[in-house]
Amino acid sequence: MDIMDDIDQISSLHRVVKANEDIKKVIRISSGVNLVALNAMLIAKRSGERSRGFAVVSSELRLFSRNLDIAMTGLGELIFSLVRDAATMQRQRQQRSHFMTVMSRNKSMRKWVEPTLARVEARMGSVEEEISRDWHKLRLQLNRVLQLCESGRSLSRSAKIEAVYGGDMSATLKQVANQIEGTVDEIFSTLKLLRMQLAE
Amino acid sequence: MKKLEFIYEDGAHKWAVVARDPEKPNHLIDTNEYLVLNGSEALLADPGGMEIFSAVFSAISAEIDPYTIRHLFASHQDPDVISSLALWLDFNPDLKCHLSWLWGSFVPHFGGTAETFVAIPDEGATISLGGLMLDAVPAHYLHSSGNFNLYDRKARILFSGDVGAALLPPEESGLYVENFDRHIRHARDFHRRWMGSNKAKLSWCERVSRLDIDMLCPQHGAIYRGEDVKRFINWFADLDVGSGIRD
Repeated sequence: MDIMDDIDQISSLHRVVKANEDIKKVIRISSGVNLVALNAMLIAKRSGERSRGFAVVSSELRLFSRNLDIAMTGLGELIFSLVRDAATMQRQRQQRSHFMTVMSRNKSMRKWVEPTLARVEARMGSVEEEISRDWHKLRLQLNRVLQLCESGRSLSRSAKIEAVYGGDMSATLKQVANQIEGTVDEIFSTLKLLRMQLAE
Repeated sequence: MKKLEFIYEDGAHKWAVVARDPEKPNHLIDTNEYLVLNGSEALLADPGGMEIFSAVFSAISAEIDPYTIRHLFASHQDPDVISSLALWLDFNPDLKCHLSWLWGSFVPHFGGTAETFVAIPDEGATISLGGLMLDAVPAHYLHSSGNFNLYDRKARILFSGDVGAALLPPEESGLYVENFDRHIRHARDFHRRWMGSNKAKLSWCERVSRLDIDMLCPQHGAIYRGEDVKRFINWFADLDVGSGIRD
């Protein structure tokens, strides 16, 4: 396989755009966690002494939602820079293809075209290095967010347990805990799928 | 990097502009790219030059799925308008590019096949964007001899291409015109030199003054809103164009 075929595979704009759409979806979902966590805190406060445990968990959830927000911003910045670099690569790939066509049509042109082609490929190589670094950072950041989501899932389970002790507020607290669990699970499964796709 | 900003929103019907690139090299003229969205379909008006493709593409992708772009609209044939065509087609070969019939065999030098282009006749045409009707309004000789604006009668927005353009200094590069008299100084020389025909200019002024326009959106410079739209049309009608060569 030509080294340029490897580059095509890694920097394909379609692949990056697909990952970008998945990440945007997760960012949209995660922005809801903050509201749910805030709601949980308010309900716990209203329930008073009966839901002290729930209040502790909901305050941890609020912290979790802040950390998730920071992690998601990082993920968004990384994918933005990957899209930009993949688009730059597409332009250089097209330039390369023009010079390759010239060479294939007229072999005698090789001596003039080859140095230009080498310069184009050198530029492609440096953008590709940048793209590889970005992919690596993206995978690391994805793992970090997944770990964070694991802690979010534990918190949502704790919230469900604490909701049981909420007396007459128990049903409301349980509903909030389920909401948190649902949102975190959705983020978790989307990111896991994305990690699998990126590993292919 | 360029950023996408929504300038009109009514449910799934939206207009956005990709503008102001602080990282753009000084030797390139700054351009505004406009995106019209209607449900799951989008049209990109004057997609820009190939040098800024990555900036435009990444700005759009940060907000919307670029696969929703099904149409490109080129107001005319200039490189800052449409030289990125081949790159957009690399991404989505099914894109349709609407432009004046006059440039039908010139613009393909930037890329595309016979199936890519939808020729707009001199009198104009209607482009359907998921059921939303957009009008290609003739603006010939302003400045190109085959030139169109794009009018959205529902949003009351006119994408005016080079008409209304201004070359703004960095300290006055807001997205909207805030002080017409101050702003128009940066548009005067551009229009005197680039617009070649007083007759064509008056014909355009008469045509667009019959349209309901809330926003007049040029390819360079700032967007005119409300009363400034009328002010601009009157100012342009009075300006002697085709006269900008410096002695």
